[in-house]
Amino acid sequence: MWKVYKYTLLDLARNRFALGYAFLLLLVSLGLFLLEGDDTKALISLTQVVLALTPLLALVFTIIYFYNQYEFTVLLAVQPLRRQAILRAQFLAITTALVVSFLFGVGLPVIAWTSNAIGWTLLLTGTALTAVFCALGISIAVRQRDRAKAVGVGLVTWVLMVLVYDSLLLWLLFTFSEYPIEPVIVPLAALNPIDLSRILIMLKIDLAALLGYTGAVYQHFFGSFGGMVVSFLALLLWTVLPAWGAVRAFVRKDL
Amino acid sequence: MRRTFASTLLAMCCLLVGARVCTVRPGGTSITEALAITMECDTIRVLKGTYREGALTVQRPVVLLGEGWPVIDGGGTGEVIVVNASHVTISGFVIRGTRVSDMNDNAAIKCIGVTDIAITGNRILHCFFGIHLSNVARATIADNEVIGDEAVSETRRANGIHLWKCNHVYILRNTAIHHRDGIYLEFVTDSHVDHNTSAYNSRYGLHFMFSHRDSYTHNLFHDNGAGVAVMFTRDVTMTDNRFERNRGASAYGLLLKEINDAHIERNLFTDNTVGLLVDGCNRADIRDNRFEANGWAVRVFANSTAAHYEGNVFTGNTFDMTTNGDLVLSTLQHNYWDRYRGYDLDRDGVGDVPFRPLSVFALVTERMPYAMVLSRSLMVNLLDQSERLIPTLTPATLEDRAPLMRPPTPGTPTTMNTKGRTAP
Repeated sequence: MWKVYKYTLLDLARNRFALGYAFLLLLVSLGLFLLEGDDTKALISLTQVVLALTPLLALVFTIIYFYNQYEFTVLLAVQPLRRQAILRAQFLAITTALVVSFLFGVGLPVIAWTSNAIGWTLLLTGTALTAVFCALGISIAVRQRDRAKAVGVGLVTWVLMVLVYDSLLLWLLFTFSEYPIEPVIVPLAALNPIDLSRILIMLKIDLAALLGYTGAVYQHFFGSFGGMVVSFLALLLWTVLPAWGAVRAFVRKDL
Repeated sequence: MRRTFASTLLAMCCLLVGARVCTVRPGGTSITEALAITMECDTIRVLKGTYREGALTVQRPVVLLGEGWPVIDGGGTGEVIVVNASHVTISGFVIRGTRVSDMNDNAAIKCIGVTDIAITGNRILHCFFGIHLSNVARATIADNEVIGDEAVSETRRANGIHLWKCNHVYILRNTAIHHRDGIYLEFVTDSHVDHNTSAYNSRYGLHFMFSHRDSYTHNLFHDNGAGVAVMFTRDVTMTDNRFERNRGASAYGLLLKEINDAHIERNLFTDNTVGLLVDGCNRADIRDNRFEANGWAVRVFANSTAAHYEGNVFTGNTFDMTTNGDLVLSTLQHNYWDRYRGYDLDRDGVGDVPFRPLSVFALVTERMPYAMVLSRSLMVNLLDQSERLIPTLTPATLEDRAPLMRPPTPGTPTTMNTKGRTAP
């Protein structure tokens, strides 16, 4: 498995897209930090970019890369290797490459400019999000025959998680505003990895506003160490479950 | 008032130079004896030491001067010093040992129904009420430290500086911490509250009601349980104050309720849950203030009329301005908003397109606070952007028609030549 991992990673290191992704993030981060006078404001803008862009690119890149490697994968599959190991190695390699790109593109500027709690939370959640969406990407790619269709499904997944889910939450809030919906809405939001990451970062940024009114509840849960651990466990689950599903599907797949 | 203060000082000097002074030292004459009406002296020097004489009552005009921080300990029986005479000065003491009571407002220094009082440079430690003036005219409360006990719960606390039905009072350079309200004024008119620090009080840093024609300048209010609340008052001037880190479910940097004709200028609001809450205020003039990193910078209730916001700077707030109704009877002009994305073709420093400070998401959270969970999500951003372009949900009248392109530099007047542009 580790040999496959190594060679996939070496291939990824030469991949123009992965490099481009790293430099795109670097450009965005540097641009924000240099143009915006206030570092915290730059960090907030960067958070928005990371929360939207990282999942999208991780999804699309994973799917496309899986199809580009398809013939090589088939070649590997005829070798005396376990299929599980092949896919696991590929998944790990892609995740590693994207996380390294992310840490290079976003991590370096963030540490250079603002190595505070917000910055560190951003890096942690960004890394977690990358892993989550690599897992989702590979589980989509394995299950689809057609590359275009897989990319389509990936995009739909992204839109669902970034836009539709939040809209649904808002609709829920409006519809059931007469009922005590409060205890339900936060766990519901936390079910979506993007929302969960956003809440974790937001708690560091919007502390003042959140402490008012009902924010104290969030603060109690997510702000505590236990809450952080639970949140990152949830993100880990979001990575492990799709990846595991992908491996299962890959094992049974007629290549 | 200033004349009174000067004359008090003058009187003090005369007394120190040539007047009849008696000296109290531990083991000698007690303060109670020195204060007796039959005593001839009009200045009492109290030397270093601890004096436990129960409640002291001042019955005649006198100057009480502490030297080397003598401690007056009330012993927890009730009040410590009760002033029943006019023209009294108390200065240079450490005072402690009031009794917590639900029946009496026990205070370290209490003055009732007198005039021309000076309470300066005392340290009042762990008392129930600190300085309590009731029905007093012409007083100066300056340079005192009124420090409560941090460990005491709110129900066992009282106000640091408490004034009821007073006029012409100067409250200057005092520090009030760990009390219920730091500074509390009720029916106090024509007074000045300047350069004080009020912090870590469990309720309000400053709390006043029915206190007309007062001014509050250069004060610092921070980390108070509910910030600063001012109510039912006419002609208030609040300038150059700082309101910082007042956080909590019902905490405000500054809460204005039923305030008429107020001038709120050059104040700094930082890191509060709500910077400024305007509820039922008429003709407030709010200009040149800075709102930084607050949850809600300004919340205006729709029952407020004719407020004017000019030259204020809004940066780094989660919400800049929210309101709870469709009716907006306030005017906004020449404020700087860090969210403003307009342009300035004629380069006069004023943006050419209006700015709408009320985001649709702010409106949503106004109705459903729990929607905060969606703050800064992409969906909410898109919603806000589209609303900015085509306002349908937010009141169209709440807009800054002439927003500044960059924050005004401190010290320069904001009223600039705008080529005939006028406020809406």
